[in-house]
Amino acid sequence: MIEESVKSALGHLARLNLQGDVYGERSQKVTFSIMNGEIADSTEYEDMGLGIRVIKDGRIGFGYCVPGKERECILRAAELSRLSGTSGIILPEEQGICNVKTYDEKVRNALEDGMGSELCGNMIDAAVSTHKDIIPSHGGLFMGSGTRVIGNTNGIFLSQDFTAIAGGIAASIPGERTSLVASESKCSRRMDMDFEHLGTLAGDKVLSMKSKSENPSDKLPVVMTPHAMGMLLWFGLIPSFNGENVRKGKSVYQGRIDEKVAGENISIVDDPTRDWGMGSFPFDDEGVAASPIPLISQGYLRHYFYDLKEAASSDTISTGNGTRGSFKTPPQIGDRNIIITGKNHPVQQLTEGKVILVDGVMGAHTSSPASGDFSVVANPAWLVEDGVKLGRLDGLMLSGNLPGSLETMVLGDDYEKLYDTIGSMSIRMELPSIRLTDITHSG
Amino acid sequence: MDEKKLTLDVMDRGAVYCDIRKERWYSTVLNLKDGVPETIIQGEEEGAMTRVLYGNGWGYVGTADMSSLESAMDRAFMMAKNSDPLRKQKTGLAHVDPQHSKVIMPMKEDFRDISPEEKLDFLRDIEGHLKCDFVKSTDIRYRDTLVKKEIITGDGTHVEMEIPRTVTYMIITGKSDTVQMAVHGVGGTGGFEMSRSTYDHVDTVKDMLKNLLKAKSPPSGKLPVVMDPHLTGVFSHEAFGHAAEGDLVASGNSCLKGKIGEKVASDMVTIKDDPTMDGYGTFPFDDEGTKAKNRILVKDGVLNDFILDRENAWKLGMEPNGGARAEDFRVKPLVRMSNTILEPGDMHFEELIEGIDRGIYAKSTSGGQVSPAQGTFQFNAQVAFLIENGEITRPLRNVSFNGFTLETLQKIVGVSKDFETGVGHCGKGQSAPVTDGGANVLISQVTVGGRE
Ligand SMILES: [Zn+2]
Repeated sequence: MIEESVKSALGHLARLNLQGDVYGERSQKVTFSIMNGEIADSTEYEDMGLGIRVIKDGRIGFGYCVPGKERECILRAAELSRLSGTSGIILPEEQGICNVKTYDEKVRNALEDGMGSELCGNMIDAAVSTHKDIIPSHGGLFMGSGTRVIGNTNGIFLSQDFTAIAGGIAASIPGERTSLVASESKCSRRMDMDFEHLGTLAGDKVLSMKSKSENPSDKLPVVMTPHAMGMLLWFGLIPSFNGENVRKGKSVYQGRIDEKVAGENISIVDDPTRDWGMGSFPFDDEGVAASPIPLISQGYLRHYFYDLKEAASSDTISTGNGTRGSFKTPPQIGDRNIIITGKNHPVQQLTEGKVILVDGVMGAHTSSPASGDFSVVANPAWLVEDGVKLGRLDGLMLSGNLPGSLETMVLGDDYEKLYDTIGSMSIRMELPSIRLTDITHSG
Repeated sequence: MDEKKLTLDVMDRGAVYCDIRKERWYSTVLNLKDGVPETIIQGEEEGAMTRVLYGNGWGYVGTADMSSLESAMDRAFMMAKNSDPLRKQKTGLAHVDPQHSKVIMPMKEDFRDISPEEKLDFLRDIEGHLKCDFVKSTDIRYRDTLVKKEIITGDGTHVEMEIPRTVTYMIITGKSDTVQMAVHGVGGTGGFEMSRSTYDHVDTVKDMLKNLLKAKSPPSGKLPVVMDPHLTGVFSHEAFGHAAEGDLVASGNSCLKGKIGEKVASDMVTIKDDPTMDGYGTFPFDDEGTKAKNRILVKDGVLNDFILDRENAWKLGMEPNGGARAEDFRVKPLVRMSNTILEPGDMHFEELIEGIDRGIYAKSTSGGQVSPAQGTFQFNAQVAFLIENGEITRPLRNVSFNGFTLETLQKIVGVSKDFETGVGHCGKGQSAPVTDGGANVLISQVTVGGRE
């Protein structure tokens, strides 16, 4: 049905002799929330809408609407286009589109059969059974399924189904003055998640926080788990590959293509063509065919990323990085499926000797997107010796610079998929644990 | 479809409670980047969220298709009925007197009467005032929204309201040894007049950038810190306000649980969360149709109240005070803050800093994060200054601090008579427009993180 609405909108554009593209999304979501050891409620929502971009004399107008209101929306967007600056934006034409797996019938079925409640219950039970003092204080489970469609007046019409499932649970041990809390979360596009295991991991993690260590005064290496590292990288490093930031001088990588910017083992690729990646999709939200974009290859800076509009401003071509938060927001440049690769070490090797293990950071969003400087609180964190957690560390502040850290970082082999949304942007990554040696810690 | 009848039918089928929240949203979003209009969006949408409590089970179903309201309600009823036998804990809703009212919050200058052209001209003029030798790039983001809501509950409430909100963010960038950015937002509940006052804040954001460009890294360690009114507001919201949210308290996720009547802060501290005062987070009724009330959370250092919706008020045996807010019709209401204020004291700013040998004066914030259960917080100041021998000396950047909320509130040893507020969007899975405000506040010791 959403396909028909997109087609109808494209028909209106043609009849009105206008250029433009139409993005349609239909999705069904169900969320279960955990409060105080049980499922407190569940919410269902079905969403459907269109985002229409009209291009008139190089000027862009944007509007969104529900199916059935396409014509009014187009006229309004055309009217607004008068006010925008001219852009040399060129809409894509038909291209070869690769196959990328994004839809799992089993997730769709689980959603429709209302299996979420049982899976969520398994997660809670597993956390509770790790120790009698543990309360799964909050968390939840999400399942979604939908269709994304993009068409334009150059003849492109693409449609693909997707599914997603995610779970998260916080296990807490209530205390006199303060509670101990540890959380665990995972996401997938497939029905391959072990929710029980997630509950057990959260339980075990909070138990390992019971004993406390003194914050170390001597400088130690810091090992970041994928979750902790993902947040820091997304706020403090990824913005530097954004073509607009580069053009406007807000990136440490401006003018440095082919320079060595990282250890020779380190490669960073934005690869939406990997099957089941959280940001994988055969085409971007502007209809540009997906391909892997090497940002850093074996230590050398190779590419920035662009959507159609910024490609026009920077006199280059789109790298397929046009992203939309929903049908209500126009396309913007965004990373799609960031993966760090290189020489992977068994994760146990990362915690050899005395290290600080960090599983989460508070305040990652306060990192400077332009310089990559950050100052955050590690929470939870542990002092670890040869892989053994000696005790948790409270209030430890970590400061450093992310682009600088790329020179010396050491990768583990425990890759995890990450997914989160920040406003209308999404964090979608696959990362291992990472050992950093140039972090200042205090507190 | 008669929604009133729909709710009564569900009550007749044995529901403990049900409600329908219908919303229609109108919004204009404008973004002027370096003087060029980048984003121009006008949109309109509507939808409804239905909620049913059956026994101890809740079901929430939302829809953007108003013709399917009846089936959404029916689905919510079935979800609630199915989950009731699975629930171990009892739940309920505290009583509120049914409300019947229609409130249209006024706009002095109705933003619907101002064309997008005129709004863009206004942003261009602001841009002209922002531009100068050290401002290399400008990004001005304007948004106005009008929401018309109707809330009908199974226990007799029927309220309608119209809430207009306007906000303008100024983001400017400059470059010295590194690129630096300063941000300042201006807005409130009301019409375009809210944005007119953006002019009064142009110098604030420019001063911040100017200082950031010549700033150095801060010292690290435990130091006395003076927070400016904006940072104080955000501190009150983040570090304290979240822990005072009734859902977190009732579910054991707050360090304030069981502490009503206890001393949780120094005598100088009074914090309120008040949806009835002028601010960006103002509303007449919450998203359950409960009349909004001022909540004095801390009075002279003593914990006095929580922010409460009906369910969590029931769980805690307290009075609901209009604490339920939902981002839009797609989501259920959560317990949220509105306008959070640390009340000013009677000291002068100079008195706060005169006794400090070595400390930090921190202004505004680029964000923070809290763990209400552990009672810990982390903040970054947008810009800060070193205090040496009772005087402000040089600017600092990348200043962040952290600590335990309850310990830190006890260490507030000075509150000035100045008062300012700022606007923001609070994230708790959903976004909510809020105002935070306060005075200059001296904390005797906080952990400051820096690279030197
Ligand atoms: Zn907040």
